[in-house]
Amino acid sequence: MGVRPLITALGLLVCWQLLVWATGAPPYILPGPLAVGRVLLARGDLLLEHALVTATEILLGILIGSLVGAASAILLTAWAPARRWLMPLLVVSQALPVFALAPLLVLWLGYGMASKIAMAVLIIYFPVTAAFFDGLRRTDPGWLELARVMNARPLAVLWRIRLPAALPALGSGLRVAASVAPIGAVVGEWVGSSAGLGYLMLHANARMQVDLVFAALFLLALMALALYFAVDRAARRLVPWQRETLPET
Amino acid sequence: MRRSAVALAVLLLLAAPARAAEKLTVMLDWFVNPDHGPLIVAREKGFFAAEGLEVDLVAPADPNDPPKLVAAGRADIAVSYQPQLHLQVAEGLPLVRIGTLVATPLNSLVVLASGPITSIEDLDGRKVGFSVGGFEDALLGAMLERYGLSLDRITLVNVNFSLSPSLISGQVDAVIGAFRNFELNQMDLVGAPGRAFYPEEEGVPAYDELIYVARADRLDDPRLRAFLTAVEKATLWLVNHPEEAWNIFKGTAAELDDELNARAWRDTLPRFALRPAALDVGRYRRFATFLEERGLIDNPPPVETYAVDLFAR
Repeated sequence: MGVRPLITALGLLVCWQLLVWATGAPPYILPGPLAVGRVLLARGDLLLEHALVTATEILLGILIGSLVGAASAILLTAWAPARRWLMPLLVVSQALPVFALAPLLVLWLGYGMASKIAMAVLIIYFPVTAAFFDGLRRTDPGWLELARVMNARPLAVLWRIRLPAALPALGSGLRVAASVAPIGAVVGEWVGSSAGLGYLMLHANARMQVDLVFAALFLLALMALALYFAVDRAARRLVPWQRETLPET
Repeated sequence: MRRSAVALAVLLLLAAPARAAEKLTVMLDWFVNPDHGPLIVAREKGFFAAEGLEVDLVAPADPNDPPKLVAAGRADIAVSYQPQLHLQVAEGLPLVRIGTLVATPLNSLVVLASGPITSIEDLDGRKVGFSVGGFEDALLGAMLERYGLSLDRITLVNVNFSLSPSLISGQVDAVIGAFRNFELNQMDLVGAPGRAFYPEEEGVPAYDELIYVARADRLDDPRLRAFLTAVEKATLWLVNHPEEAWNIFKGTAAELDDELNARAWRDTLPRFALRPAALDVGRYRRFATFLEERGLIDNPPPVETYAVDLFAR
């Protein structure tokens, strides 16, 4: 991984502490990194227990959301009527603020994990579908010409040319999904839940244990980061033939 | 010409300027509702102005913010809850209770009147929804223990603000955190009346549901005493002229003029603190002991450090 990310992390922690000093914010508004570190150690088991619940919701949400999103994109590509009828639905799914839908989802799916997973799915559906669909319809015309000349069947064109060519776009969509899915899960927990980091934050906030709130936030941020890098790695493996032309360092 | 101009200028300068009203920020606990009757009446009937105050009533996005903002010096007074004050003080927030708005508990355990639960014992093995307040398990635990039950005999589900919908839709069998003057009327109006169990009748010490808190180092601010004087006047006026007071309240905003608010107003009227500044030390001591026994706070400090009667200092 290298020492550079560690330096960045240290730098962020220092900035955080400087912010606390500069604004003079009391610990019940903005606790410093040391206070949060203490809570992470003291209440580690509680935090981990709830973190696992949220992590499960996020992972399942990404899995289901990506599958449904990819399938939708392929449907849109393969079938013209779908483009007419599904597109508006797609845009609406993005336009509606999720926290407005959250109470409805909880009412329909109950207070367990299902509603939180549904929230995560909803929030990533548009990014994944839109990105993948975009890649599928912008296939290089030269390749499509070649396929036509070779008398390729439409299904073969889709499966062997459009799809592989659109995989980098899918990768971008998945990266966005990885960073946004945690929001869906946490908002779902805020509306109604008995476990998870979102629930823990609500509870700690009501008890004025602001250091615990920030500890939960910190864990959430770590999870989101880890998820992003994992998806990034996977996405790159998905498209081994397309090298990145920008050096990483 | 110049002489009269100078005379005019001197006269204008000597004319006693009207005392500019002092601004005061009061953060409410929630959006404006009948619980805030005395505050609305005080503003609309000029009781605040008579004390030289220009009061800004602000509704928060999150009910947990106002005490934090007052503690941080960003607001002057917050409407908060006595139980939460004990928790906040335990976490080191420099807050002091300076007055009471609603002098009875409003929190209640509510079930559907048409449902199978007729007494607290029937809650055995059931689901209870709650709105995160920080101490609902203490409240519920005490009520259950009276009937030989404990918290592990029930399932607690955080339904946050959907107390009535979750109960009516059957997703939970009971809810704790419903205000008896609001949620009960709400359920009645949608045709699903509720049955309430009151904590203070089931083993929980009585407490002030709504109080005014200020920062501990600002207690000598004369505006605070002026505020309480105006609120006392408004409360007494409200008690003497309930119909007129309701008309004033509902006239301030269109969304307040409906059946739910009318019924809530009627139910809240007898609960307003008739002596807002007066302090019942024993009540705060008893509730602190109760929270300590339930494991929510350790070693509560003397009541005088977080609850005062400003006029008795």
